[in-house]
This record gives sequence, C-alpha cells and structure tokens, in this order.
Amino acid sequence: MTVIAVVVFVVAYVLIATEWTHKLLAALGGAAVLLAFGVTDSEHAFYSQETGVDWNVIFLLLGMMIIVGVLRRTGVFEYVAIWAAKRAKGSPLRVMILLRLITAIASAFLDNVTTVLLIAPVTLLVCERLGVDPVPFLIAEVMASNIGGTATLIGDPPNIIIASRSGLTFNDFLIHLTPLVAIELAVFTLVLPRLFKGSFAVDPDKVHNVLRLNEREAIQDSRLLIKSGAVLLAVLIGFVGHALFHVEPAVVALLGAGLLVLISKVPTKDYMGSVEWQTLLFFAGLFVMVGALVKTGVIANLAEVVGDATGGRPLVAVMLILFVSAVLSGIVDNIPYVATMSPVVLELTKGVTNHAHAHALWWALAAGADFGGNATAVGASANVVVIGIALRAGYPISFWEFTRKGVVITAITILTAAPYLWLRYFVLS
Amino acid sequence: MAEEFPVVGLDSAAREAVELLAVRRLPGLIVVDSKGEPHSVLPASQVVRFLVPSYVQDDPSLARVIDESLADQVADKLANVPVRRLLPSDPVELPVVNHDDTVLEVAAIMARLRCPLVAVMKGRKIIGAITASRLLELVVTPH
Repeated sequence: MTVIAVVVFVVAYVLIATEWTHKLLAALGGAAVLLAFGVTDSEHAFYSQETGVDWNVIFLLLGMMIIVGVLRRTGVFEYVAIWAAKRAKGSPLRVMILLRLITAIASAFLDNVTTVLLIAPVTLLVCERLGVDPVPFLIAEVMASNIGGTATLIGDPPNIIIASRSGLTFNDFLIHLTPLVAIELAVFTLVLPRLFKGSFAVDPDKVHNVLRLNEREAIQDSRLLIKSGAVLLAVLIGFVGHALFHVEPAVVALLGAGLLVLISKVPTKDYMGSVEWQTLLFFAGLFVMVGALVKTGVIANLAEVVGDATGGRPLVAVMLILFVSAVLSGIVDNIPYVATMSPVVLELTKGVTNHAHAHALWWALAAGADFGGNATAVGASANVVVIGIALRAGYPISFWEFTRKGVVITAITILTAAPYLWLRYFVLS
Repeated sequence: MAEEFPVVGLDSAAREAVELLAVRRLPGLIVVDSKGEPHSVLPASQVVRFLVPSYVQDDPSLARVIDESLADQVADKLANVPVRRLLPSDPVELPVVNHDDTVLEVAAIMARLRCPLVAVMKGRKIIGAITASRLLELVVTPH
C-alpha cells in the first residue's frame, strides 16, 4: 500500500508540475486510483481531518470566492487604483509604487489571482495613457501580490492550508507574517528603480491623459458598495476574533458570503460564476493523495529524515524549509507543495519543545512557499494570469523576461526573511 | 436567394473595410484569400470587439472612466492594420452554403455559427451572400 501511495503521488505530482494533463485530472485521477486500490477509503478520505479532505480549507475558499465575486462588481478597486495613479501626478515610478502597494494590500485580503485580474486592466489603461510600457508595471504588481498575500491567513491558499493544519489563528498570521511582509515591501520599493531601470521615462504632454480619467465613474452601485464593505468588515472582525468566538474561519467566510448574497440581491449565476470549482476540486484531490501518504506512514518517515538531516536543530530546520520551499515553489505550484509539506512540518513541530521555534517552522514554510512563487513565470497562478492578460493586450512577457526579475526578487525576499526568522524566533524570543 | 455582396482581401486595409461596413451598414464582410477563395466572414461585431481595448473587455467598468475625447481615439487602432488582424485569433468554421441549399439549411448554418452572414458558393466561386435580415425576409414573406 505504501508503494502504491508513493507511486501515485509522484506520478500525479509530475503531471501537475509538467502540465502534461490538466492538474485537476491529475489530482482527482490520483485520488481515484488510491480509493480504487484501497490505499485509502471513504472514512479516511472524506471524514478524517488528518488523512482526508480538509473541509475548512475548501469552505473558507468557497466563502471568500463568493464574497469577492460580489465585491468586484462594486468598482471600488478600480476607483482606488485610478485615484492613486492620479495622486502620482503622472510620475511612472510613483504610479508603480502606489499600484504595487494597493495590489499588496488587496492581496492580503483577496486571493492573488482575483487581485491581479482587478489591477492589470487598470494598469494597462494608465500605462497606455502615459505612453509607457506596461510590462514592468504588471511584473512588479504580480510580485507585490505574491508578497502581500503572505501577510494574512486568507491572503494565499498555502496560508489557508498551513492555518488549518497547524491550528494557527488569523491573528497569529497578522502578528508574525504581516511585519515581515511590510519589511519585504519596503525593500522591494527600494530596489524598484534599479530592477526596472529605463522604464520610467514619460512624455510630459501625456501626463494630463491620466489626470483626465474620472475614477468616480468606476463606482457602479454605491449601495452595493456600502453593503459589501459592511459585510467585508464584519468578516474581518470575525477572522480576528475567531479564536475568541470559537468559530472556524471557514464558518466566518460562509456566514459572510451568505449574508452578502442575501442583502446584495446579486443574481445566483453571477456570484456562483466567481467560484473556481476546478480549484476546489483540485484541493480535494490533493488532500486525498497527501492523506494517503499520512495514513501509510510516508509523511512520518519523511519528517524523521528531515529531522535527522537537521540534527534536531530547529534553526537549521527553519532555514532548510525556507530555502527549499522557495526553490521548489518556483518550479511547481506552491499549493500542492504546501499541501504535502504541511503534514511533514506538523510532525517536525511535535519534536520541538520551544513554541517559538515550532511556530518559526510554519512561518518558514509560508514565507518560502509564498515568496518562492515569484521566482519563475509559472511559480504562481497569478503570474500565469498576468502574462495571459499582457499577451492579449499586445504586450507578450517571455518566460525568461519574467524569471530574470523573479529570481532577483525571490532571492531578496528570502534573504530578508531568513534574518527576520532568526532574529525574531531564535535571538529575541 | 443570394445577393451580391462586397468582398475584401486578407491584406486589404482594415480602415477601408470598416468604412465599407459603416457606409453601407453591412452586418459583416466576406474575406477572401489571395486566390479569391472565401477565407472567413468578418462580422461587424468582431470589428467592434477589435476596437475595444482588451483591458476594457476584461473590466467593462473602465469604459466609463475614460472621457469622450480619449474614447474617440479608439479608431486609431485601425491605422496601418490589414483585415487579417481584425479576425479572431482562433480559426472558426467558414460560414458557406451551396447556391441550391434551402432556407432551413442556410438558417441552420447561421444559427450554429452565430454568424449574421453566409457566403453562397457555386463550385469554388462566390456568387453572393445571404444576410440574416435577407433570410428573415424570405421566411416571413408570403409565397
């Protein structure tokens, strides 16, 4: 059974990484084979939190997708982005800094793909008005999205998986990862002019084209905006207090989604259309496959190997997880990577007595996997989406054009995260 | 049932083709290749789609934030562009019918391809076209 679990997992992983088949087919196919061979069963696959589908993750994603589906109809994101571009007074560098900041903040609360789907069209509009190449702006924004998404429990799917497996709360993420993300964004801002050297020249005559954009027209329905804003605020309060109220984040998100659907009166097909069913099913398949590895003892053995390799020293384990996660997440999608590594890290934390050190293992996984998504053009779903939008607009971004910048930013963010983790959890704790 | 209909080449100037559409208020144009054989039908709606920036298609709310003078510049996209650039990037089935096809056959092709215009062929030669409005006229006119 162990051999079948490993072979099916490796084959599915190769198919997902190489995209020889659709990733959904690989994940569900792998899960089906494991069920057919009796490696796992319905009890373990559907009802066990350790070895089966993590419904907290699935329903948290579902709830947030519905909330975002209604929220994006308000036009508030476009309003803020155009308002910021006008405040930049036509300076391309200032436009880039502000749009990147908005992207990072939005990504902390919305999923990264949704955020870039919202910011990329506005960016193309502003850049066209300024007569500057939008490619550096789009690359900077998607990188800010991957960095900003690291800040909260709901910012990036890997964080949702980590939270569910580790039991860490929304506030834990805010306290431990948000300061790191703030530092990363400050460093990113400092390197922007050098990273995108030569991208900021603008014809002064074109500046007024941006100033003539009317951001107020972007707000389509002010009543919907007020309702959505109120529900989003309530959901965020629910997230912050979920440990206090003894309510899982998934329940908070689902209640918020239900309330918003009820009061917004948005047609069913509109908000259900924003749910990425394929992503949810992909997660389900992944959880069954990883659960089979847990059930057959493969994960426990892997954790033992990692523990031995680090000599039981938590700092070495933290740095190993950080750097290996960054490299692997640049090559394969960080969602299957974190789904696999979370049980391994959970096993590792059982052998660590110091709570700060145990938490540092989780933060290393989150930072490594999330920041690592910037390394290549295929490292994160948001990268692929932005490259597609740019291509349709007539601005192709090659794999290497993206990766040249991505490797630099990943190296900078990981080299910033390493001393943060060392200082905060090993020197100052 | 076929009527005479203007055709344009793949490498004809897009601006002239669009002017033809506009002046004669046509639902589309038949596009032919260098041998004069039908290549595709260019519906007017496809031209409109080409004129709308991709970022506005992705986020229609942005159309409202652009003022009238800037919006007027959309036609600039047609300058120095051949007709082939106006066509959809993915190849679509050619909407053609034979000169002896029935009204129902023509309607079936139009409905399936969601095309307002079909080219009428006799052998390998285009002898005209049938528009959706001409088809409806034939359907409702008492015989």
